[in-house]
Amino acid sequence: MLSASPLRNSSTTFEDIKGEASAVGFSDFCIDDNFLDYIDFSEPFEGFNGEVLPDLEVDPSDILAEFCTETCDDSHNKGETAVKVCKETEAKITASKIEEIATKDDDSTVTVAETKSSSTSGEGESKRKSSSASAKSLQGKRKVKVDWTPELHRRFVQAVEQLGIDKAVPSKILELMGIDCLTRHNVASHLQKYRSHRKHLLAREAEAASWSQRRHMYQTAIPTASTPKKDPWIAPTIGFPPPPPTTPAQMQPFQPLHVWGHPTAADPSMVHAWPRHLAPRPPALPWAGHAAVPVGDPSYWHHHYHVAAKQGWTPQMMPPGTPYFHQPLAPVRFPVAPVPGMLSHPMYRPVPPQPPKQSTPQIQLEFHPSKESIDAAIGDVLAKPWSPLPLGLKPPSTDSVLVELHRQGISKVPPSIS
Amino acid sequence: MAESSTSYIRLVQHLIEACLCFNLSKEKCIEALDKHANIMPVITSTVWKELEKENKEFFHAYNKAQEDKILEMETLQKIQKKLSEASISDSK
Repeated sequence: MLSASPLRNSSTTFEDIKGEASAVGFSDFCIDDNFLDYIDFSEPFEGFNGEVLPDLEVDPSDILAEFCTETCDDSHNKGETAVKVCKETEAKITASKIEEIATKDDDSTVTVAETKSSSTSGEGESKRKSSSASAKSLQGKRKVKVDWTPELHRRFVQAVEQLGIDKAVPSKILELMGIDCLTRHNVASHLQKYRSHRKHLLAREAEAASWSQRRHMYQTAIPTASTPKKDPWIAPTIGFPPPPPTTPAQMQPFQPLHVWGHPTAADPSMVHAWPRHLAPRPPALPWAGHAAVPVGDPSYWHHHYHVAAKQGWTPQMMPPGTPYFHQPLAPVRFPVAPVPGMLSHPMYRPVPPQPPKQSTPQIQLEFHPSKESIDAAIGDVLAKPWSPLPLGLKPPSTDSVLVELHRQGISKVPPSIS
Repeated sequence: MAESSTSYIRLVQHLIEACLCFNLSKEKCIEALDKHANIMPVITSTVWKELEKENKEFFHAYNKAQEDKILEMETLQKIQKKLSEASISDSK
């Protein structure tokens, strides 16, 4: 596919390379679309990461002669000096590479031989480009650095998995990958990195698995709990610790007014944070508040109004209806805590929320499951001791427990409680 | 006779696992079992230790998570403190 398109000369060539490569049997030539990014035509021997390794055994000089032509000069006539430069550098580096690699592995010579034959046979434009590119890379860097593109890595992983992670030997991987531009050394070092990365991943997976198992368990054990949205370790939020009424209710509206009702003043993180843990609650609250308000002291309204005014909110700013429900909601409910409307929600205990300390109660919820919920759970277990264990931990042997208890001074189990 | 011991120990294990579902620390668990189920702290503690021995990885991860939680809580508390201080100074 040597279609010449004058405008896209470089990319055309690139496609050509690919085409040629696949024609010759490299199913996935290591040059990918980024390849040409590496080739800076203005500075020929710099920047290329050496994905295309030199033809190891072949004396590349004759091939190079033609290869260098195209790219070095960007014309079809070879400048002799350019050619020579290319030749020399290619030869130098190739020689060193050959020494380095020839001693290492037989397999690579196979792939090398392939490369050799294919490159000598197909002396098209494309081949020149690829080799000249490699010439450039070799010129620029002695140590050819392999850039592990996602595609390359994918093939690597494929090969490794095929062989089996333990049996994966660089030479075999190389064989399986069938990419000639990789040295065994490249593969070996990449394999090392991959292995350590895997270990790390597996360790984390194991932890995550136990967490998710636990989360599953606790979700089934506590069916009324709200789903923890972010972290399996968050304790169920079904019950809130009785909010310490540190300040009189009048003080509380200060912040909730600020956060709950006012559309712009609401701290978005707070507002969003609430729903996360108390999912149905915000919608539920207005209704509860609605119920509560008539029950509550009308003076609260008055007070809230004043507080709101203090904050610069005018009656015009706050429509008389809805926002008020939100804002005074908590404090109104506070003195009238056992409002039936609130209790109706199965998920939440009849404890008024603490909007003034939006962050605090949330965090408290996360870290301090309420006594009631624990009590309830324990009660459940006591009621049904035969039920399956929520976590299914491996039970200790009775004997070892008894022995230990005897050491501690407990002779009878269950102990008789005086 | 032996069965009652075994079943009792199993019960305690069951209760401990319920506490683990709440991410309680060992101390909190002992306290909870004592308060709500009248399990002697020493018994809870012993069973906990034995469970730990039998389920090392689980408890390793659990304890680590506990520590993380504590750190997180402390950090959040600090943040809250700063926020409240800032709001106080703002309101002045």
